Amino acid sequence: MPEDERSLLEFLDSSQLNCLNEEGEHTLKSLLSSKAVNTSSDTYLLSDVDEQLLLNVTFNQSVRVRSLIIKSNGNPEQAPKLIKLFINKPALGFEDVEDASEPEAAQVIELTEEQVKKGLPIPLRYVRFQAVSSLHIFVATNNGDDATRIDALDVFGIPAAGVRDLSGLKKTEE
Amino acid sequence: MPLEATMIIIDNSEYMRNGDYQPSRFDAQSDAANTVFQTKIDSNPENFAGIMTMAGKGPEVLVTYTKDLGQILQAIHSASSNVGGVADITTAIAVAQLALKHRQNKNLRQRIVVFIGSPLEGQSADERNMIKLAKKLKKNNVAVDVIAFGDGIEEGESNVLKTFVDNANSSDNSHYVAVPPGPHLLSDMVISSPILAGDSGIPEEAMGDAAPAAGGSNFEFGVDPSLDPELAMALRMSMEEENARQVAAAAASGPSQPTPQASQPPAPTSSIPAPTQPAASSDAMDEDEEALLQQALAMSQQEGGGAEIEIDEDEEMSEEEAIARAIEMSMKENQSEKK
Repeated sequence: MPEDERSLLEFLDSSQLNCLNEEGEHTLKSLLSSKAVNTSSDTYLLSDVDEQLLLNVTFNQSVRVRSLIIKSNGNPEQAPKLIKLFINKPALGFEDVEDASEPEAAQVIELTEEQVKKGLPIPLRYVRFQAVSSLHIFVATNNGDDATRIDALDVFGIPAAGVRDLSGLKKTEE
Repeated sequence: MPLEATMIIIDNSEYMRNGDYQPSRFDAQSDAANTVFQTKIDSNPENFAGIMTMAGKGPEVLVTYTKDLGQILQAIHSASSNVGGVADITTAIAVAQLALKHRQNKNLRQRIVVFIGSPLEGQSADERNMIKLAKKLKKNNVAVDVIAFGDGIEEGESNVLKTFVDNANSSDNSHYVAVPPGPHLLSDMVISSPILAGDSGIPEEAMGDAAPAAGGSNFEFGVDPSLDPELAMALRMSMEEENARQVAAAAASGPSQPTPQASQPPAPTSSIPAPTQPAASSDAMDEDEEALLQQALAMSQQEGGGAEIEIDEDEEMSEEEAIARAIEMSMKENQSEKK
């Protein structure tokens, strides 16, 4: 792991966080609004109608993403299995992503049980994630249950060079 | 103040020619659609809304996204000359969802408001099909409100539309309202329903079940207190002040009331010494008032003795007495002047 690589959660734009098909009480916002990796066992993201989820993670500046952690502590059947990653497409709906494959999707990954259970970093194709302002994670399938559960999400990489962090300016108006 | 993009689906099937809602179903619906549009646009400066029809040759989007009431009115007007066919609610909702998906500001929540005044037919009557559609909407985070009126209100146990809304509902964002024909206006019923409660700044729980029962004129002052709490409070305060003023005036009316008509019956009791000086000093007047008040109180207590008499009646009686006394006194004044 290169030295300058770090968690990108501090660059999240938490007002733009949203997730489709999330259950009313277990939302993506609750998982990420603290801008740190969730460690509480009471807070998790759960799917609602079926097992699919579409997480929209927006950053407040351009970032380069190298790896990803998706952790699911609950029932192994609720762990996400096939995920598709998209970048910089703020208007995605399920119908856009269901049939997508590479290169439309930036990357399609089949998660192993170990990766999800232990929360191991999932290496990404670094060249495809060079100027990411929003990352969209589509969970297509899980391991069999009706609902998908995600306990923690973390994104690693570096902020794109030459981009100034304007997050400090925004706070004054609130 | 929800941040929302709204698609209003109106029914323009043949059933809209019915005149059971004033002036006709279609016009009542247009009025209500205007109300919904205006409320949604006013509730947040970033909100947009569009309108579409679901019958005729097929569902048709009339206006995509606008804040301009003129465009909506124009669209409704053009739809009014295009009444016919059968409503296709499932296709209409699918089209509306597509239209919502292409909104410019992706931060806006998506909402579909459906007016339905015709019976469900074909695909739309199939409960399983509708539940599937509802789940799809819920999955995509689209809220749905259904306003059923006329033939859209289903009889009996199975209510497909209600089930549809319940299935699309996540964290209480979707509502079903049925408005039967009656003396009320469709738009009044819609504005006082939970559908627009969030936009008027009223907590939805406060609306509760009271909303469907409200006829618009059943309120204390003819104004729905939940719609304009300040006005209602002002009215109530003014009412109380007026009551207090009347009571005070009744007690104090003795020397000042100029009613020299002899047609009124004389006061039942005349045991108090009447004032002899027409232009009494202020002290004397105060004493007069006090005496009158005492007298009135004593009277009402005597008459209301053991029986249960409400306070209102007490007040009324003392008022009557005061008037009678006033008449008596003014007559005496006249007499003393003649002397």
